[in-house]
Amino acid sequence: MNEIKVENISFSYTDGQPVLSNIDVHFRQESTAIIGQNGAGKTTFVKLLKGLLKPATGNIYVNGMNTKEHTVAQLAKQIGLVFQNPNDQIFKHTVIEEVMFGPKNIGQSTEEARQNSLLALEKMGIVHEADKNPYDLSLSDRKLVSIASILAMKPPIIIFDEPTMGQDYLGKERLKKIMKDLREEGVLVLSIIHDMDFVAETFERTIVMNQGQIVLDGPTREVFSHEQLIRDVYLELPHATQLGKQLGLKQTFLTVDELINFNRKKQG
Amino acid sequence: MKKIIVENLKYKYPETDQLALNDVSFEVEEGEVIGIVGQNSAGKSSLCLALTGLIPHFFNGAYGGKVLIEGIEVKTSTITDLSQKAGLVFDNPFTQMTASKYTVYDEIAFGLENMGVSREDMIERVDWSLKMMGIENIKDKNPFDLSGGQMQRVAIASVIAMRPGILVLDEPTSQLDPQASEEVFRVIQQLSQEGITIVIAEHKMEKLSSFADRILLLYEGKQIDFDTPQKVFSRDDLHNYGVVPPIFTTYCKAMGMKNKKTNTYPVTLAQVSSLLGGENNE
Amino acid sequence: MTLYVKQDSPIHEIDPITKVIYALVAALLPYILPSHTVALTVLVISIMLLVVGKVFRKIIPLIGLSLFLIVSLVIIQGIFRPDNVTPLFQFGPIIFYKEGLSYGLLLMLRVINLLCAFGVLILTTKPDDLIQSFIQKGMSPRIGYVIGSVLQLIPQMSATIATIKDAQRSRGLETEGSLLVRVKAFLPLIGPVIMNSLISTRERSIALEVRGFNTKQKKTFLHEVHTYKYAKVIQAVLILIFIFAILWRIFL
Repeated sequence: MNEIKVENISFSYTDGQPVLSNIDVHFRQESTAIIGQNGAGKTTFVKLLKGLLKPATGNIYVNGMNTKEHTVAQLAKQIGLVFQNPNDQIFKHTVIEEVMFGPKNIGQSTEEARQNSLLALEKMGIVHEADKNPYDLSLSDRKLVSIASILAMKPPIIIFDEPTMGQDYLGKERLKKIMKDLREEGVLVLSIIHDMDFVAETFERTIVMNQGQIVLDGPTREVFSHEQLIRDVYLELPHATQLGKQLGLKQTFLTVDELINFNRKKQG
Repeated sequence: MKKIIVENLKYKYPETDQLALNDVSFEVEEGEVIGIVGQNSAGKSSLCLALTGLIPHFFNGAYGGKVLIEGIEVKTSTITDLSQKAGLVFDNPFTQMTASKYTVYDEIAFGLENMGVSREDMIERVDWSLKMMGIENIKDKNPFDLSGGQMQRVAIASVIAMRPGILVLDEPTSQLDPQASEEVFRVIQQLSQEGITIVIAEHKMEKLSSFADRILLLYEGKQIDFDTPQKVFSRDDLHNYGVVPPIFTTYCKAMGMKNKKTNTYPVTLAQVSSLLGGENNE
Repeated sequence: MTLYVKQDSPIHEIDPITKVIYALVAALLPYILPSHTVALTVLVISIMLLVVGKVFRKIIPLIGLSLFLIVSLVIIQGIFRPDNVTPLFQFGPIIFYKEGLSYGLLLMLRVINLLCAFGVLILTTKPDDLIQSFIQKGMSPRIGYVIGSVLQLIPQMSATIATIKDAQRSRGLETEGSLLVRVKAFLPLIGPVIMNSLISTRERSIALEVRGFNTKQKKTFLHEVHTYKYAKVIQAVLILIFIFAILWRIFL
């Protein structure tokens, strides 16, 4: 089983200004969303998990590997990170070559890399664009290419950074399915995300960060039941949850389908 | 006079085969808030560019039909003249900062300097913009030292300083966190209350429904509908166009909760409440 | 990222154009008249201006940076200059000659003088004031914009470059180590940097368009770049000195 152990870490970019303090958390199999306003420390936290930054105090173990003792490239086989802006990584002339870059770096043979890349592109629904120049695609399709380029590396742990930004309804549905499929395959899925509806519909566990600390950590439904705390950290409840409350219901609803089914049962 | 008139607008980007805009026609009254919805590549951005003259003057390409902004035809005008009638704000706060100015105050004055506005007028307009956007407290900061939400408000301030009667926004909150998005929506509503006509392309249906007067639904460059949010989101075929209505509407549709007078479903939480309240009072 | 230091000093009051002329004349004078006295005099004047401008402290790190270059100039000239004849002192087998050291000293004074002369300009003048002065004198506002924006965009780029490096390292790219490793890392790092710049530039030019950037209208300016009352006098004096120096060099 894949896991990340975060043991009492702290981190600061400049002396005297801690960005993260005493974070202690254990990630295991459940798909987890990391939410919080900008500046709460989410990106820094994720970079620490990925080994791009090393904790000032404490340790992080990614499937047993201590991030302080390995390079980022060495950790890349265990943990993949999909960056927010696809333009920050794309440099090859065709989509397929771009997607094959990561797999080849971590030791897959060219044939293996090609197979995995085509499979990843198929999952993202863009295998027909394999021979196109990535910059001839729309920004949202380019984002799908960047996700495919990490999927093809087949990491047992994947972190997404704002995957839904700029995506329309269909794009988001595709992402939901991919994350759920990954979860079923046993991949540990983590994501920084602002879209509360998507969080409620997709992730089993949610962590709320504020000012460098974790203020809430638990099953998504439970986290969103703390209405006041969510508002205190300048976040909003998912719309289905808001609707449930407006209808006077005590439970915390995560999706509109849940609400509909609940009320239909009540009626009928 | 209608603020915006779009008549059979057609447009194709250079070196592409498909029409980005295919026979779009609608009219906007002064002071209205129009929401543009549709899946990615439906033509929302292209329409925003066409309303501000960037199509056809910056993007060239094949152009047909007419767009009239306050009676002036876009095709025969210039981007500069049009920018005083219709301002454009788009999704990336960072690339809307000119980078040649060191304070927010100077940044906002940039467009006014280009226009040859007198110093007294400039100062008056910049002060007004700062107040409107609620950013007086950061007027001396370097634009690049701001958060995404603050930068976006500076971008809007810079555009409204040119005193356009229309503000066109292309997914202005897509790169912002929830709080910054709220701030931006709030100032947009304030501008609308000042009488500025707003055209905004958005994916956040719940938010849009709470303050849009009418919604324009686009699909593959074609105009599918142009009506009130209630009418548009009550349609049964939204799924065919890659669009979902606000969650509140989805719920009401499934539960058969219709507003009998208008024959539409609620699109905001408030409307759901009043519908229920109305039912309870019967 | 500017070297400008905000202070309340008479040097800050002087208009940018005058300071530009000073910087050019002061930097070039020791080249036109290759004499230690001239170089030293101009250097002392520049330093005095820096002190009056309360920015002297800032020039020291800049000089420190080029110290290595300067000292090596002196040493190399001292040992190897062709017309070295008179030995001055000796370190083991290496002999330092008087002519070479003297010439090396002149070179050193010229370099430090150049730094100080331009320091007077750059440390006491706001970049946008400088650019505005040029535009008011006839430079194209578009060129002025390019220069002005580049000064801020280049430091911004370093953040983007760091992100790109992180993204590629995350995909298993090694960036440290042998020369071969670094050469292999070049394209994956430079490719996105270039594309990002192109895309940002495109988006930014749209933003500029809708703020009247390409208008034919005559520009107005929010800030008045104050004209110093003695500007014309000082400029005239500086130019006269310059001409005089050239004539001196040619005829004497």
